Amino acid sequence: MNGWVGRCLRVNLTEGKHSVEELDTSQAERFLGGRGLAVKVFSDEVSPNVDPLSADNKLVFSSGPLVGTGAVTGASCSIVTRSALTDTLACAKTRGHFGAEMKFAGFDMIIVEGRAESPVILSVVDGKVRLVPALEYWGRSTSETESLFKGSLGNQWTARETFVLSIGPAGERLLPDANVVNGRFLPVGGAGIGAVMGSKNLKAIAVKGQQSLKVADGNKFVQVVNTLMNKLNSATLTAQSMPQWGTAFLVGLCNQNGILPRNNFQEVPISLGNIGAESLEKAFALRSQGCFGCPVACIKKTDMKQQSYEGRGMVPTYLSIGTLGTNCGVSDLSTIGTASMLCAEMGLDPVAIGGTLATAMELVEKKVVTVDEIKIDLQFGNGNGILEALTLISTKKGYAKKLGQGARKLAESFERPDLFMGVKGMPMSPFDPRAIQGMGLHFATSNYGAHHLYAYTFIDEVLNVNDKIEPYETEGKPALVKFYQDATAVLDSLGLCCWPLMGLKFKNFVPLVNSCLGISHNEDDLLKIGERIWNAERMFNIRAGINGSHDILPERLMKEPIPDGPAKGQVSRVSEMIPEYYRLRGWSDKGEPKEEASGAPGTGEV
Amino acid sequence: MPRIKINHLKCTGCRHCEIACSLNHVENTSNPRRSRIRIMKDNERYYPVISGPFVDAACTSKHFIEINGLEYDMCAFCRASCPEKPYFIEAETGIPLKCDFCGIPPNPSCVRWCNSGALELVED
Ligand code: SF4
Ligand code: SF4
Ligand code: SF4
Repeated sequence: MNGWVGRCLRVNLTEGKHSVEELDTSQAERFLGGRGLAVKVFSDEVSPNVDPLSADNKLVFSSGPLVGTGAVTGASCSIVTRSALTDTLACAKTRGHFGAEMKFAGFDMIIVEGRAESPVILSVVDGKVRLVPALEYWGRSTSETESLFKGSLGNQWTARETFVLSIGPAGERLLPDANVVNGRFLPVGGAGIGAVMGSKNLKAIAVKGQQSLKVADGNKFVQVVNTLMNKLNSATLTAQSMPQWGTAFLVGLCNQNGILPRNNFQEVPISLGNIGAESLEKAFALRSQGCFGCPVACIKKTDMKQQSYEGRGMVPTYLSIGTLGTNCGVSDLSTIGTASMLCAEMGLDPVAIGGTLATAMELVEKKVVTVDEIKIDLQFGNGNGILEALTLISTKKGYAKKLGQGARKLAESFERPDLFMGVKGMPMSPFDPRAIQGMGLHFATSNYGAHHLYAYTFIDEVLNVNDKIEPYETEGKPALVKFYQDATAVLDSLGLCCWPLMGLKFKNFVPLVNSCLGISHNEDDLLKIGERIWNAERMFNIRAGINGSHDILPERLMKEPIPDGPAKGQVSRVSEMIPEYYRLRGWSDKGEPKEEASGAPGTGEV
Repeated sequence: MPRIKINHLKCTGCRHCEIACSLNHVENTSNPRRSRIRIMKDNERYYPVISGPFVDAACTSKHFIEINGLEYDMCAFCRASCPEKPYFIEAETGIPLKCDFCGIPPNPSCVRWCNSGALELVED
């Protein structure tokens, strides 16, 4: 087989047994691999009504066919389950080196079922699958877990090549805002997965191996990779902005358009102060890190030193500056950096927990609750309050327990559901939908809640990479959103990162896919697969009770205009766009995929 | 004579060089364990090491040195294709690997795929 290893590992934690299965090649052709195939396998095997934290829920770790082959940015492993935060499907994309190593360890996919009686680590190292008792790991941060496990291997050469993905204390305590972390990377997408892993008593997965991967036409493949690298190197965003600052370069651009939210999406920052990309270099010593096979290397790492917090972590990205920073009123980069480091150590999802904190802060601001009651000084702009909350939340003690239930439940528990700024239970990523209409439509319709990493519309709406598209316009947005949702599904399923879309066109990936896998798809074929995946996810959610009536943004964004700044006066006009979006998808006017929906044959049986 | 100059400060740990080398030496095959260049990770920093000959004489690399307060294991950075360290022993054949300066001139494969500037071709 080309690209794929061709094998899946199934681990039953209840029985402590595992088996090796052959990859279903016909489904791999229809769903590619990665996210798509994981969704297919998950929705075939698990009931949509499954309690996310029960032993019946499953976790599917799935690396795409291009991962590890040397395809540019082929590093992404998708993790699919039913989310403890949103009750929809959850899909995390873990980058770094875990996904590639999982394939070198011999598996395209690892399916985890059941629940272990006491904590375990799943170790897939050099062909040996073991469930290692992990009581001594319980309660430890993700980086401690990693180094302790590597130490336990007893051989430094093996340890150096082993990659560990784990949950932190947040996942162990079943916090819905928990996520998984590998190699101190901030998790992207998929809040609610950490708790599922915690409920299974699975602390970590470690992988290492020596399996070779095959590409169909090596000479052609090398040429295509060369061409793509040249293209990436000649586009400003992928050759300069991203390698220099990572996604933080977006902060200034988004703010210029009034997109960066402030204080729980009430307003926008007027001046950036010291949080723009240029300030990063003053605040941190930047070290670039690339995911496996990535020429862009947008990850910046650094050492953090701040009063009582010290450690290594990721320099703030756009996402953490928005969610843990401006949307909580904080504009001090070193606090934001420490907060994102704490998220990675505790295993908290920055978007989810950022939303929780912003909600709590607005509850305080609106005098629904007092700081004395909360016992943590959570007021907009107080960075220390955030750091304290992040360390306490995973203890689930006292008031932290209330905070730990996630933003939506927190707002509901004070009878102020209107203060929850999110969709389908997922707090919004830092893009104010009033100032970027396409992203707003995506937030409303996304299968995973309001997360921008499932449709990168800002590549056109803010960065104007392909076309100059006005962020405040609604015209043409349904088609744009559909394109980015489908394209992202394809790239996630192949195991590629979507950031290169800042320098490449989607169609540029076609020869890469074909020369690697030995197939002859064109751009439309791939986008059809993307659509099939999107519909399959939608079908699962509908059967799980999350349907068209949930395709809605918080009222604030549809009714209250942005009070100030460049987007002053804008509201989200999402309801105007939804009918056209459903029509383009070939769905009913209630948002249900029809069996014969265009390009999505077979959705009926998914 | 052209040489490959390594600037580890620029290395991002992406391991694209490992795959470039593997694809060039084993037909249609991507496998870091079949590459003649490997990336060592130490203290969250990355050090590319290109494999060289192993002389079965008393090894002088098995010690630690300290630079700027960080301790380095010289064995990790040693480029000998040595039986002590499995890094340059080819996974599937057990053969010790050695860089043969491959690729389409003037660019060795690993240099061609290294986008960060950590690997550079220089003339002496
Ligand atoms: S662009 Fe950034 S996130 Fe994407 S693969 Fe490269 S380093 Fe990783
Ligand atoms: S020059 Fe060729 S053989 Fe030597 S390490 Fe680089 S790719 Fe491998
Ligand atoms: S390709 Fe260059 S930057 Fe990437 S790991 Fe190799 S030497 Fe380092």
